[in-house]
Amino acid sequence: MAAWQKWWPGLAVFTVVVAGVLAGGARADEAPADIKIGHLHAGSGPYASISMPVYDSLKLWVEQQNANGGAFVKAYGKKIPLKLISYDDQSNPGTAATLTNQLITQDKVDLLVCDSGSVLTAVSVPIAREHKMFLFDPTGTGAAFFSKDNPYIALLADPVSTVWPRYLWEFLKSDAARLGAKRVALLYSTNDFTGTQANSIRAALKEPGSPVEIVFDQGVPTSTSNYSVLIDNIAATNPDMVLELGYVGNDIAFLRNLQESGQKFKGVFTLYPGIETNVLLKNVGASGLAGVFSYVTALGLTLKPEIGMTVEELRAAFEKAYGEGGVEFGWNAIAGHVTGLVIGETLAHADSLSQPDLRRAVFGLSGKLKTLVGTFELRDDGAQIGELTPIGQFDAAGKIAVVYPPEFATAKPVIGAP
Amino acid sequence: MLVHALLGGVIYGCYFTLIGLGLNLVFGVMRIVNLAHGDVLMLGAFAAFFLFHLVGLSPFIAAPVVMVGFFLLGLPFYYLVVPRLALAKDAEMLSLILFFGIQQIIEALAAIVFGSSERSIPGRVLGVGPFHFLGQTLSRAWVIGAAIAAGAVIALYLYLYHTRSGLLTRAVMASRDEALASGIDIHRISARAFAIGLALAGLAGVFAPFMLGSVTPAMGVSVNLAAFAVIIVGSLGNPLGTVAGGLIYGVGLLLMQTYFSAWADLLPNLLLIGVLLARPTGLLGRRVRLA
Repeated sequence: MAAWQKWWPGLAVFTVVVAGVLAGGARADEAPADIKIGHLHAGSGPYASISMPVYDSLKLWVEQQNANGGAFVKAYGKKIPLKLISYDDQSNPGTAATLTNQLITQDKVDLLVCDSGSVLTAVSVPIAREHKMFLFDPTGTGAAFFSKDNPYIALLADPVSTVWPRYLWEFLKSDAARLGAKRVALLYSTNDFTGTQANSIRAALKEPGSPVEIVFDQGVPTSTSNYSVLIDNIAATNPDMVLELGYVGNDIAFLRNLQESGQKFKGVFTLYPGIETNVLLKNVGASGLAGVFSYVTALGLTLKPEIGMTVEELRAAFEKAYGEGGVEFGWNAIAGHVTGLVIGETLAHADSLSQPDLRRAVFGLSGKLKTLVGTFELRDDGAQIGELTPIGQFDAAGKIAVVYPPEFATAKPVIGAP
Repeated sequence: MLVHALLGGVIYGCYFTLIGLGLNLVFGVMRIVNLAHGDVLMLGAFAAFFLFHLVGLSPFIAAPVVMVGFFLLGLPFYYLVVPRLALAKDAEMLSLILFFGIQQIIEALAAIVFGSSERSIPGRVLGVGPFHFLGQTLSRAWVIGAAIAAGAVIALYLYLYHTRSGLLTRAVMASRDEALASGIDIHRISARAFAIGLALAGLAGVFAPFMLGSVTPAMGVSVNLAAFAVIIVGSLGNPLGTVAGGLIYGVGLLLMQTYFSAWADLLPNLLLIGVLLARPTGLLGRRVRLA
């Protein structure tokens, strides 16, 4: 008995050491050869132009990580190469649904990233939830995706559609109204992205005491490619300010038709000129954008990231990697980079690769991660609320300057600009 | 608003006539359904885009260049594909599958080569300012598009009704077997019609950047839907019936945009269902198919 008592402390230390070594060894042995990131992109179809930049930029981030030995994965205490499995859903929601299932059940990916934009995100949300798979949502901002009873989603790179237009309606009710734009026409594409924004703007402008009146309020299919008659119908209601909310193709068609129609409004707001500025400039020209209001994204702001590249560094890397491949560098390319950064930080902080731990890690980043688009901040339902979307106005040279809110403004808004 | 929608619809509809014209000619002569028609149009649009941006060619000059180019490409393509297809028991159904595959290949290759971003040609190259007509302001691109479409319809009419080749084409359209029995070289005539169909699609494509806002490799599918609505409403297999289909489509679209804008993309489907239920041969049609 005495001998046992004499040897007990040493035995205990030995047991702990052996267990530790075995556990460590086991952890190293269990580490996978790679971390599988499942992703969807639209290589063709109507959403290709917003999806491909996200895909290309995410792919670039993965390649950069792998060039440095992979991403650090806290769960295994070492760097592990990343494997991006990305399928082409061809902008088809049905195909996107099938491929989301395939990524989860066949490829058994560790992390699931849905396609870009609300239309294609919409199909992945319920599937991810059903499989209890945490969904990394780059840019699907539809408000319906986020609810407190669905813990399996986080919006990474765009603000949720209900929050996104906050500065817009504030601008309309303050500066724009003061400058004489009190009659507003609202024309929007009927999809989750722009439909939600339209609902949000409408509700704000109809609040009691609002100085602004909505004189035209119509939705059009996202497939709309000619707005000439709609512009004529809008003009018949004599608005001061026209808000057109659509995807890239919609905004191009609207602004081109507006130029050709000869109609003039005191103010015009469209969504994408500040988001995919290069594409809009190439299709509409600087003269077509002169005076147009739009959201100002990281492309027009000089935010200093605490992690990842600056906008100019990313632009240089993107253009070096893809050259003149037909995929333009713009906001969506930035969104792809932000998606990569969040994934990287998630892996660096998650205790394991279980979906609840991944979720905890993502939400743990909220308010702490400052990227080139601003502060990453999540509401408890997974909606992104931290990023800034000030209102800007284009000058005749095709440059956008922030005009609202006043704390960020670098120019004064001009109502009645050409 | 009603007058503008009606007048604008007629003008805009002329362009949809042009979109459907080549498709209907090909179906009328060969009884094959060219599901790649919209993608040929897309290639015409990209040809015009590159001719403008790389060589500085105006769309008015690019149009004949594209038409001749597509015509010359259409002849060998016909001999490569259609004669074998015509030997099949159900060539019409097989053509659907074959051209669906071709459509997919063209779109995928275009996305790889051209990228997925929207492209267009500045509107100013067609001239500046809208047209004013009957008290209405109309887009310059619409009026020019309508004039081009009218020219194409007249040219096709003259070809079909005032040339020997057109006479033979109409003979093949009336009965392929009887034309063959009469000693007509149906493949030579069909190849010519097929090439003309592609040339007309290319011509429509040249003006697509002005009529449809911008062009992408993905535009073919929606163009096809509109084209099928136009030719089925007008008359399947009768190229000149396409005129009626195009005008009805244009007026219907603008009326929908004016009064039921959120439902405007239902129009092609509503027209197709309505005409197929009420008059399956099309408004100006005769029976051209049994299936």
